[in-house]
Amino acid sequence: MKYMIETNGLCKKYGDKYSVKKCSLKIRPGCVYGFLGPNGAGKSTTMKMILGLVQPTAGEIRIFGEEVTERNRIEILRDTGSLIESPSYYGHLTGRENLEIIRTLKGVSRKEIDEVLQIVRLEGQQKKKVREYSLGMKQRLGLAAALLGRPKLLLLDEPTNGLDPAGIQEMRDLISDLPEHYGMTVMVSSHLLSEMDQMVTDVGIIDKGKMIYQGSLEKLHEQAKGSLKVHALNQGTAVRILDEHREKYRIDGADLLLPERSEREVADVVTMLAAEGAQITHVEMQQKSLEDIFLALTGRQVSL
Amino acid sequence: MLREWKTEWMKIRRRKIGLLVGAFVVLIFAWMTWAIRDSSKEQIYDGWRVCFLQFSLINTILLPTMIAMLASRLCDAEIKGNTLKLLCTMEKKGRLFDLKLLTGAVYLLLFIIAEYAMMFLLSAALGFGRPAEPRHLIYFFLENYTSSILLLLLQQVLSFFYENQIIPLAAGLFGSFAGLFSWFLPGAPVWYLIPWGYYSKLAYISYTWDEATRITTYYNAPFNFPGLLALLAIIAAGYAAGRYLFVTRKEI
Repeated sequence: MKYMIETNGLCKKYGDKYSVKKCSLKIRPGCVYGFLGPNGAGKSTTMKMILGLVQPTAGEIRIFGEEVTERNRIEILRDTGSLIESPSYYGHLTGRENLEIIRTLKGVSRKEIDEVLQIVRLEGQQKKKVREYSLGMKQRLGLAAALLGRPKLLLLDEPTNGLDPAGIQEMRDLISDLPEHYGMTVMVSSHLLSEMDQMVTDVGIIDKGKMIYQGSLEKLHEQAKGSLKVHALNQGTAVRILDEHREKYRIDGADLLLPERSEREVADVVTMLAAEGAQITHVEMQQKSLEDIFLALTGRQVSL
Repeated sequence: MLREWKTEWMKIRRRKIGLLVGAFVVLIFAWMTWAIRDSSKEQIYDGWRVCFLQFSLINTILLPTMIAMLASRLCDAEIKGNTLKLLCTMEKKGRLFDLKLLTGAVYLLLFIIAEYAMMFLLSAALGFGRPAEPRHLIYFFLENYTSSILLLLLQQVLSFFYENQIIPLAAGLFGSFAGLFSWFLPGAPVWYLIPWGYYSKLAYISYTWDEATRITTYYNAPFNFPGLLALLAIIAAGYAAGRYLFVTRKEI
């Protein structure tokens, strides 16, 4: 299969410390690939290496199936768009003038400016100087610049950083629409796991520079089983009964967490506990969120 | 290449760089007019030599500051707006460095042309008796433009590497003083090592002042071709080093 981005053994070392270590990414065409990890995990460095902004210490990068070298980098990147960390802009110029510069560099037609302004809904603000824009507008302008030339591949590093909840929702909708409407493949990084859940189809999780999971979001959810939360007034009795029946469980404060099971099996456990006087007041099936999955994979909490 | 250079001019819209250079042209014209107002008949007769020397001296004092401001205006928009990480996905980093330098060099060329225009204007207005020697017109360019290019290169590297533009501007001010001192000790070889010293090292008009008669006599000095070669070598080395540093060391 020809991947849009493929990296093999990608490393970046600063001094003695690895910022990214043997990172192997595979991004299939037409997906929204969520690149997850806590702050400092190596997401931005990896994306910068893909774009040739940072020189890798070791490893190979392929974009559109072609190995990227300093010689062919600009040519290959012609079909990509990017928004890395904070937006890039000339504050003394208007939004349209900023896009005009990018358009000239990319060598695309002038009418594309109107199209991308429409996509990011900035038509009404195009004649305003960018230094007068809000952060959300600057982010949208950054996305418009990335979209110029209808690239096949888009790399967006933390595009929702600093946006208010409405702005985050708007950006999320825009990004998730791109593959369907414009046939683009999107790689988007974030440390906000919850927002990824609603936006991406594939996921790569990086922690301390190492890839710890890569695959579809669906499979990740499947892999991470849920649990049955039981609240019993008489917890001691409940624990005794579960021990007697060799049931697996974990005490979580006043609750007991049992492995996920079918509805029939849930009914059996509840009946058994109630019959022995455990005094059940609450039973709940818990699905693991991405945060829980991340916690299970890395053993530490991620910032939200 | 032309497409990329076009964007350099698009980026500096409303940066008022033309106004900055224009203001220095006006300042120098005012300074020269003031300096020449009480000149003797002999000095007016030898007006071209006076101009070549005085313009070079004024350039030594003012140009380091103007060039620091010029380089800062050209480069700080990229630093302030975090644009390198976007631009360097569309054009090579080294080319960006070159095109910035080229843009600055065009402004300096316009500045030198304006200085020639001022000299011709003064000549027409005051009636310089002795005509300008063509080789002196060329030496003026070699001395002032080449020295300024070295300063532009230095200031561009500083402006790219320091987010706080006060540092490159302070370097420009320091350069003005260093350059001025170089005229008092023109023989000292140390000025070959100091970028702001080349205006004086390449001066080709000298003068004597007779205390008794209080008359200043201007005369031709041989043009310092070895000095020019040293300057060109330093520019080449500085360009290679500055570009290499920008391409490999400038963090994006």
